[in-house]
Amino acid sequence: MYTLLVNSGLSAEVTAVLPRIETLVVVLFFALFAMSFDFISGYTGYLSFGHAAFYGTGAYLVALAANGKIPLLGPETPFMLLLVLAGVAAAALAVAIGSVSFRLSGVYFAMITLGFSQVLYVFVRDWDFVSSAPRDGVAVTGTLEGFRIGVPWVDGLSVAIGQLTGDSVEGLFGFITLSPTEVSFYAVGAVVLVCYLALQRLVHSPFGRTLIAIRENEERARAIGYNTYAYKLGAFVASGFFAGIAGALFVGFRRSVTPENGFYFLVAGDALLVSIIGGFGTLAGPLYGELFDATVREFLSKEGGGGGLLPYLRANVGDATLATEIYNGLTVAEAIDTFLNGHAALYVGLLFVLFVLYVPNGLLGTARDRMGGTLAKAVPRRLRRWFDG
Amino acid sequence: MSAIAQATASLAPVAPVGAALPLQFADALIEFLSPATLADVIVRGIAEASLYVMIAAGLTLVFGLMGVLNFAHGSLTMLGAYLGGLVLVATVAQSTGGVGRLLAFGVAVVVAFGALAALGGGLEIGLVRPIYDRPPLYQILLTFGVTLVLDELARILVLFYGLQPTTVWQDVLGTKPAFLANSVGVAGVSASGLELFQILFGVLTVTGVYLFLTRTRYGLFVRAGGEDSEMLSALGVDVNRVFTVVFALGTGIAGAAGVLLAWDPSWGASVPLAAETLLPAFVVVIVGGLGTFRGTVVAALIVGLVDSSMTWWFQNFVDFTGLPEMVVFLVLVLTLIVKPQGLYGVSEVGGH
Repeated sequence: MYTLLVNSGLSAEVTAVLPRIETLVVVLFFALFAMSFDFISGYTGYLSFGHAAFYGTGAYLVALAANGKIPLLGPETPFMLLLVLAGVAAAALAVAIGSVSFRLSGVYFAMITLGFSQVLYVFVRDWDFVSSAPRDGVAVTGTLEGFRIGVPWVDGLSVAIGQLTGDSVEGLFGFITLSPTEVSFYAVGAVVLVCYLALQRLVHSPFGRTLIAIRENEERARAIGYNTYAYKLGAFVASGFFAGIAGALFVGFRRSVTPENGFYFLVAGDALLVSIIGGFGTLAGPLYGELFDATVREFLSKEGGGGGLLPYLRANVGDATLATEIYNGLTVAEAIDTFLNGHAALYVGLLFVLFVLYVPNGLLGTARDRMGGTLAKAVPRRLRRWFDG
Repeated sequence: MSAIAQATASLAPVAPVGAALPLQFADALIEFLSPATLADVIVRGIAEASLYVMIAAGLTLVFGLMGVLNFAHGSLTMLGAYLGGLVLVATVAQSTGGVGRLLAFGVAVVVAFGALAALGGGLEIGLVRPIYDRPPLYQILLTFGVTLVLDELARILVLFYGLQPTTVWQDVLGTKPAFLANSVGVAGVSASGLELFQILFGVLTVTGVYLFLTRTRYGLFVRAGGEDSEMLSALGVDVNRVFTVVFALGTGIAGAAGVLLAWDPSWGASVPLAAETLLPAFVVVIVGGLGTFRGTVVAALIVGLVDSSMTWWFQNFVDFTGLPEMVVFLVLVLTLIVKPQGLYGVSEVGGH
């Protein structure tokens, strides 16, 4: 699909606008994190501002285990096992944090989770056990092989992921050839899909319905006889579990993690951002939100490697136009460089504010409202009516 | 002090473990409790408390009246630091004397307060007002978005003028009068001039806000609006205007705090200052209890003293860089566990 578009007539435009495959892998695991965030915050209405703690736990667990820093888990531990262990560790942390935090509600809940995650952030940032320079994070140095997704201990049924360490596939079914990053994309995608389906199952179970009841009117849910504390804690633990898996996938692909992109509270802020843009309280929404966010960020990225606005303009707009002075010696090229490149946060932030004000249900939520149901059901119905009509 | 001692004792394994650890600990404790050290730590703690109360006062005013937890507060402080820094750099020359520099500082505070109050008023009317009737979550989201935009705008402007956004703007530190950097010895306790200046500034702000709340007609509206804003509007007060004024006042104080921070070498004007001030401000406001000014002042004192004593322990005994910061967040967590509404919080405020 991507190759098809890139080789089409609008090749330059398509390369500029569409994100690269490396970005799409990031989209996948971060979307899983955002989904887990949305699962607790969007469905129960409890804003878990310290959600980065679980993501960071999963990420650090994999990195430390691969470096042989964790007893009983050598560098040879299969990645699939690490994935589950990362989830379990994050879930255990969620039990600890949640059992205290769910005595509070509203703003206080957001603040106490934020407090916990910042304690962990500072701790990990300055704890010299994790690496010799804990502020710069941990890189996987204990093993040179890629982390394998698939059936553990069976090389034929698993693939390694990572940009440099991943497997490439040649001639599968005679015609499919995939680069290591593309293999990573499908492998990570498979894990994310399984997690998504599990979360989806939870949301549509009686358990998930109760969570929505808690969001809408907690007192009434309690009056009917639900132990809301237990439900909220259960949801928090499940959410922590999947956030841990997302963190593990992150290290599996990137092979390094820093306190800033693992534990810092703004990581949870990013999850919040993409959840809102995609649709708060819709499980798939964060995926679209993250896809959108990543696309904008890459379009305006500083490096401009592969796609993006800068190389597109350089290639397709004349030098004379770019060198035109707008104001006081400031050329067009410089203006773009100053105001657009690397500053996607500004535009995403503006858009976010507009979304909060005018599209509170986000992309997916609004689409569902328009169509009157989930897209999977509503679109065929519309089409059928259109063809019959 | 015993609570701090226990907290430190539990953290002690982080320190280089020797055979005589309890002995070293006792030594350090005795040194910590000696009058000279204690007085030093207390003075530094009060100076830090003054900074914290400046950062948090605006946040607590806005929350107390409107129930809006303003995530953009840190960014507004950061903008204040840059604006004030701009005024200071523009007006202070190499030859300007100490008094002249203090005057310039006064001008900078006034400019930052005015500009940010105007910006805050605009934000309230344009963005916050339409969503008062939505769940509190949306106000957090909205102001969080405003933070992203403000930070990125600041980063663009700072880069445009050839400064590094992530490092402290050194020129502003250079405009500080020399006598603020010297230590003053009073009755065996030495404090730097800057610390005394910060304490003075903090006390002035607290007094000012307190007088505003208790002695002026508007302060009366603010306190009444915090209790029941519908009733207030039924009595014929234009509540929307009160909201706007308080929001403007809160952001103005944030701006003034920013100017004060721009002179402090351990903070300084930089873009990351936004997040650096937002988090302690949250801690202070939550520990004190959302929306109570008295609680905020007390909590700022607690956090300031904890911070300065933990800094001492880190420098002298515990080998862990993040100790003060971590303990400050632990104070937040512990307070919420023991007293879920904060020290002076009222149960209705904040979605309880």
